[in-house]
Parts: sequence; structure tokens; C-alpha cells
Amino acid sequence: MQVFLRQWLLVMLMAVLGAVAFVPAYAADTSSAQEQAARQQTQPGNNAPVWRDVRGGDNPYQTTQVRGVESAVLVQPAGETWRQVRNGLVTVYGGWLIVVIMAMIGAFYWWKGPIKLHEQPTGRRLLRFGAWDRMVHWGAAISFILLAATGIIILFGKHIFLPVIGYTLFGWLATLAKNVHNFVGPVFAFCTILMFVTFVKDNFPKAHDLKWLAKFGGLVSGEHVPSDRFNAAEKVWFWLGVTLLGIVVSVTGFILNFPNFEQGRALMQQANVIHATAAVLFLTFALSHIYLGTVGVEGAYQAMRTGYVDEVWAKEHHEFWYQDVIAGKGGGAASPAAASALKEGWKT
Amino acid sequence: MARMKFLCDAERCIECNGCVTACKQEHEVPWGVNRRRVVTLNDGLPGEKSISVACMHCSDAPCMAVCPVDCFYKTAEGVVLHDKDLCIGCGYCFYACPFGAPQFPQDGAFGLRGKMDKCTFCAGGPEPDNSAAEFKKYGRNRLAEGKLPACAEMCSTKALLGGDGDVVADIYRNRVLKRGKGSEVWGWGTAYGKPEKGAAPPAGAKS
Repeated sequence: MQVFLRQWLLVMLMAVLGAVAFVPAYAADTSSAQEQAARQQTQPGNNAPVWRDVRGGDNPYQTTQVRGVESAVLVQPAGETWRQVRNGLVTVYGGWLIVVIMAMIGAFYWWKGPIKLHEQPTGRRLLRFGAWDRMVHWGAAISFILLAATGIIILFGKHIFLPVIGYTLFGWLATLAKNVHNFVGPVFAFCTILMFVTFVKDNFPKAHDLKWLAKFGGLVSGEHVPSDRFNAAEKVWFWLGVTLLGIVVSVTGFILNFPNFEQGRALMQQANVIHATAAVLFLTFALSHIYLGTVGVEGAYQAMRTGYVDEVWAKEHHEFWYQDVIAGKGGGAASPAAASALKEGWKT
Repeated sequence: MARMKFLCDAERCIECNGCVTACKQEHEVPWGVNRRRVVTLNDGLPGEKSISVACMHCSDAPCMAVCPVDCFYKTAEGVVLHDKDLCIGCGYCFYACPFGAPQFPQDGAFGLRGKMDKCTFCAGGPEPDNSAAEFKKYGRNRLAEGKLPACAEMCSTKALLGGDGDVVADIYRNRVLKRGKGSEVWGWGTAYGKPEKGAAPPAGAKS
């Protein structure tokens, strides 16, 4: 019985493998060669089926003695498409999008200025971000800034830096940029995973987030809209920016960064376009986040720098979180009593 | 001045790979880098055809257009060359090239590919003609010596022609008229079908 089973399994395995190995050869043998023969009957001199093979490189009877990735492909017209999309759509529109967003942030700052606290700070400080939170955030932030700067040099440097600093200097700068980008990239991918794990628990959307979004947190009106530890815009940044775009740039980045797996050109071209597009969107998102986390909101930078925020800041920016902390429900990192104790060095 | 072009006559190519060998020998190209290769269509089937392919020195070269450091330049004879001192080894020219011409000495993890290498139409690089530095990076500069590319000169059946595009086209036209078939000038539409771009070499680059 066992012997019979084993033989049966072997036969099935061979049948599956045989079918896989046989199908392409059979298909190519019949389709392209026969199609060419048929075409010669109806349209002598029209070699379109042959030239389709020339571009495809899938025909097992198309060979070369040179080893290498897709070395048997004579012509790959997709390269021209990639060139048009990258040099046109991605570079031109992507570049101007970044410029426009920066101008809009600048204009907003000039118009409204930073969001200041309405009441006097009490001096009682709450722990908003623990040591782990801050380590993960700054790991991701520093690697992101390095990647953004070097990515800008790679995509736009030819147009904005090369005419200013010349070929030799730009050659060195671009070499540095490419290597920093390629080695910091995996660090950022790793930090993205840590970011997700660390902050996901406070980023689940709630009903009141819709109310916050409808008023856009009172950013323009100045009206107070209560929110959790993270407001709705921060949650959008977490899900669409950090998580979705983070995964997209990481996956496509790995495809581009490891040519040692001998992936084909079509995959690299697609990965490059997706990577650059996602990165430009990511950067515009990040610019807004960086603005609101530094000069845009008083006290926001100190929160991530030191981990602590003033009681008044917590009440004015994240009221629901503040109430949770006061009620001792955690929410953040520690209770206010413990926070004050930490700050003043008491033993609890 | 002449516009240099390659033309491979698929009716004549016998897949001897003599051009590949000539190129490797002439330029002492490192192992794994193939500036020229022969591709055979319908290998072993009726109607087998072989074509020798390398950089075609396109009129509107995609490699030149996508290079993030603008390391490519074109000589007055239409030869597309590059400066290895500027090349960062990103691989974009390889993505863009229709002919798979750009080659890299490595394909290491973290995008460590080394400097790009490709067919120079035996015209060297930006260093002084026939200098040791030029030979080390780009191989021999036969054009500066008044010679044509080694691959075409070496071709046993004269399938591969390289030189002044008008002369090459005339030779091919006569062949097609005599034999009455095989008029496809392979790759010419892709390489030379667009208006010439970047023909004026940048300052410092030789013609």
C-alpha cells in the first residue's frame, strides 16, 4: 500500500513538472513559428511574428552565448516608455508638486504663524512619548530625511544642483547620495515596521475623528476640537503615510536595491516609477508633518525631543488623551504624578 | 562629418561570435562584461537568423536622457560615450536601453554594480586619445588611430558593418538589390529613427 502510494505521488509529481516544463516550449513552437508561416502565406515579407519574439525574449529558440540578465532579448521597447514616464511625469509633476507644497506651507506660516498655547503653561508635565517611542520615531525620521535628501539628488540633482556645482562635484555628491540611499533604505524599512508596531494601538480611527476632520482640527478657524493621543490628521499620516507609503517604498526599494537576484528590466522599471511616485507623495506628506511637528505648533517638537508635554498643551491639543491620563487610564506613557515625579527626580 | 552607425546583416551573420571575441580582445574587457553579443532567432529551426548587437549609438539615446549625473556625451561623429569618473552605477541606463548595451562589472547587493561599461564604437572616452588612462577605463581608441571598430573589421562574412552611416547604408542597399531579399535593417528604426539629440559635445569632451 505504501509503495503504491509513493509511486502514485511520484507519477503525479512528474506529471505536474512535465506539464510546467512542456507548456512554454510547446506554445512557442506552435504559436510563433506557425504564425510566421501562416503570415508568409497571406502577407509575404511581413515578419511581424518574428519581430514580436525579438522583443519578447520568451521564445526558447531565441538564444545567445552571452550569460546575463535577459541577454537573449534583442530589443526591449519598454525602456523608452520608462524613460518618458520617469523623465516626464515623475520628474516634472513630482518636482513641481514638492515645490507647490513647500510654498503652501510657507504661505500658511506667513499667514497664520505658529499655533500657540492659549493659557499659561502650568509647569506640570505629562509623559507623552517614552524612550522607546522616541527612539523608534527618530530612527525612522533621521533615516527618512537622509533618504529624502539623497533621493532628491538622484531624481532632481541633474536639474537643480549640476548646473550650479558642476560635473566633478556633482559626480562625488551623487555617488555619496546613491550609496547612502542604498544602505540607509533597509534601515528605514526596519524602522517602518517598528513604527507600525509601536504606534498602531493609538491610531485606530474613532467616530470623533470624523468631526475633527470635518473642521480640520481648527487649523484655520482656531476652534478647539478635542482628539485622542493622536488626532485624525496624525492617524491619516500614520495609515497612508508611514504604513502604506512606507510599505510601498520599502518593497519597491528592495527590488531596485538588490540586482543580485537577477530580476528583469520590466520589474525594475515598474518598481522605479512606483518608488519615485510614492516617495514624492511621502515627502509632501512628511513636509506637512515636519512643519506641524516643529515651527507650526508650539511645544510639539519638545514632545518628541524630551518626551514630555505641558498639561495645558495636552488639554489644548489632545483633550481626550489628557482626560485619559488624568483618569489614570494610561493612554500615553505614564500617569501625571509619575511624570512630575520623573521630572523633579523624586523617588516614587 | 560622418555619422557613425552599426548595421548587422542578418542574412550573412553565421553566429561565429568573432565580433564578441574581437571586442573582448581589443579592449581587454573584464570577465562578465559583454559589450557585444550575438542573439540567434529560431535557433536550430528552419529560418534561423543571427544578429550581432551592441550599443547602437542612438540619435536620441535613452541612456543619455535618464542618466542622473548626465555622464553621457556624444561626439561630433554621433558616437555615444560616457565618463566613468562621473558614473555612479545606478543602472538606469540599463533599464532604458532598448538593446541591453550597458553592462556592469558586478550586480551586488545594495546596488553595488560598479561603473557602467559599454561599447564605445572603439572611440575611447574623455581622457586624452590613446592614453593609458583611457585604455584602462574604456579600451582602445581605434577611431583616433583612423581605424573602424574591431568587431566589424574582424567579421568573417562582413555581416557586421560599422562606420559612416551613409557608406554602410549604400553597401547594404547594393546587397539587398543583388540578392533580392533580407531588407530589414535590424534596429535602425529604434536607434536612428528619431532626430539627433545632444550632438554637440560638452566643453572639455573631445570629438
